[in-house]
Amino acid sequence: MATESPAAVTAGATLRPRPRLPGRARAAVAPPPEAHAVADASDRGARLVAVVIALAWHLVVGLPAVLSAGSGMAAPAVVAVGWLVTALAGVATGVRLLRGGLPPARRLAAALLVVDAAVFAAAGERFLFSTANWVWGGLAWFFLLALWRRPVRWLLVLLAAHAVIALVAVVLHGATTPADLSRYAMYVYGTSTLPVAVFAGAAALTALARDGAGTAAAALAVAAERAAAERAQGERQARLALVSGTAEEVLSALAAGDADPADPAVRRRAVLAAARLRRLIAESDDVPDPLLHELRAAADLAERNGLPIELVAVGTPPELPVDVRRRLADPLTAALAGARGSARLTVVAGPDEVVVSLVTPDHDGPDDSAAPPAGDGPVEHLHERDGEIRWTQTRWRRT
Amino acid sequence: MDADPLAADVNPGHPIGVAIVDDHPVVIDGVRAWLATEPRLRVLATGDDPDAVLRAAPEADVVLLDLRLHGRMVLDKLAELSAAGRRVVVYSEHTDPPTMLAALDAGAVAFLAKHEGREHCVGTVLAAASDRPYVPPALAGAMVGDARPDRPALSDKEREALLLWFQSMSKASVARRMQISEHTVKQYVDRARIKYTRAGRPAATKAALLARAIEDGLVRPEDIGIYRSQASADRPTP
Repeated sequence: MATESPAAVTAGATLRPRPRLPGRARAAVAPPPEAHAVADASDRGARLVAVVIALAWHLVVGLPAVLSAGSGMAAPAVVAVGWLVTALAGVATGVRLLRGGLPPARRLAAALLVVDAAVFAAAGERFLFSTANWVWGGLAWFFLLALWRRPVRWLLVLLAAHAVIALVAVVLHGATTPADLSRYAMYVYGTSTLPVAVFAGAAALTALARDGAGTAAAALAVAAERAAAERAQGERQARLALVSGTAEEVLSALAAGDADPADPAVRRRAVLAAARLRRLIAESDDVPDPLLHELRAAADLAERNGLPIELVAVGTPPELPVDVRRRLADPLTAALAGARGSARLTVVAGPDEVVVSLVTPDHDGPDDSAAPPAGDGPVEHLHERDGEIRWTQTRWRRT
Repeated sequence: MDADPLAADVNPGHPIGVAIVDDHPVVIDGVRAWLATEPRLRVLATGDDPDAVLRAAPEADVVLLDLRLHGRMVLDKLAELSAAGRRVVVYSEHTDPPTMLAALDAGAVAFLAKHEGREHCVGTVLAAASDRPYVPPALAGAMVGDARPDRPALSDKEREALLLWFQSMSKASVARRMQISEHTVKQYVDRARIKYTRAGRPAATKAALLARAIEDGLVRPEDIGIYRSQASADRPTP
């Protein structure tokens, strides 16, 4: 190890497999919640247009025709009640849609079909193809509101039912001449195409907006991750510069014969430089984990005071509450302050357990890391000395 | 392959032949110096090409293999040698757990971190020569932190022994902490290692480790399941 140049060492370290961030994987599977918000917003314009068209048509075209036809119809009261029921359902649905909710599609569709059949029956033969039979053109827009954001085939099914009801009414009213039937076909075609076009257009716009929002959110997440990784890389490079500086100093002093390998001070410098290099190599996380970051900072500090320290981390800690992290790290940093000779700091982390340990040679000096009170929440803290080593361990288990 | 992979233990008086494969001559010299302190070990051949080294010393009992040769990870070569029954001790500065576990899966008898030094190096080679497990602290860390879905199921005691051994690097301290004997600590650690002979693809070296563990009473054949028949077939003749 000590025989390799720092450059070769870092090249090796970058080739190591890196743990993938769970966040990135999640983003690829389901669009983030922001995407739904964007889709909702982009949908709003189309919803407003549909509500306005349905109610305006109902009020401006349907109502005057019904009123002017008046008693000429077979059952004017039924036509009027149908108009009123549809108007109320339309207003309720519109309010719901504009507030971001969705109406109960099945019940509403069933009610509209009942109104459809009733009005066709009540309009009478004379008014069958007139605007007073308002369900011809006006009802399709209410279908649109009822089925907002549902699959487009539901709308097609409803329009087909509407066409069948109309055909039955036309036949029952005896309007079976070729002219009547072609009029029927034109009406069905003319009143269905526009709602279908608006519906499909709105659905396509929503899908596009949702995709776009998903892409933007994913790009943001990647950018944030890259920024964090670049920062980590920058810090690492700064430390590498520092470490190579000290290692180079020792090596060139040895090479030039200015330093004697038998000199304990020279050996200690070499040991320190080697320990630093090893710790740098051991760092394999792209984005710094807060717990490791904290421990690394404490290790750096202890090292600056001349303590060779080894830090080995296995596994990636899960996201921990600040309080838990503090209880895990603080006893170790405290023990590190009293360490002499050398130190081995280890972290073993899994999704349900994180264990941090510091082992240093035992010495006669004071031991400030007194045994902690028992029952310390989800983090267990052990400290002991056996004449050979001083051993501090904190352990968190998911409860 | 001429050498019987289990010959070393059959003739205890016979020195153990070691081949060293590394692309840094200074490391070879260093390891050679470490091994020279143990009279039972004899370095037979060294070099940077596994095939050339083993042609020079086909009777080598243990191969010390640097996992990274000329800038390339030689896990495939490791698997090939292990499948052929060569006892390969991997030693590397690449001590990230995934690499260490991949080496075990490929059939390495042991994994030694380069910084773990003379004591562990000699101990590992001696254990490897007799198909006995040797778990240095870095490897214990990789095993206890193993989160792969198909990892071997370790008992609580085995996990705890591995964890404390990784943390303290002192079996005496682990024994005190767990209130058991040092011998029992070693048994827990070794038993965990034997469970790893089931991970990855089968290799002659894994079968030999398992057979010796059964012979030593470290594990019972019925604890191992699928490897039982293979183990008994590969069992050395006493």
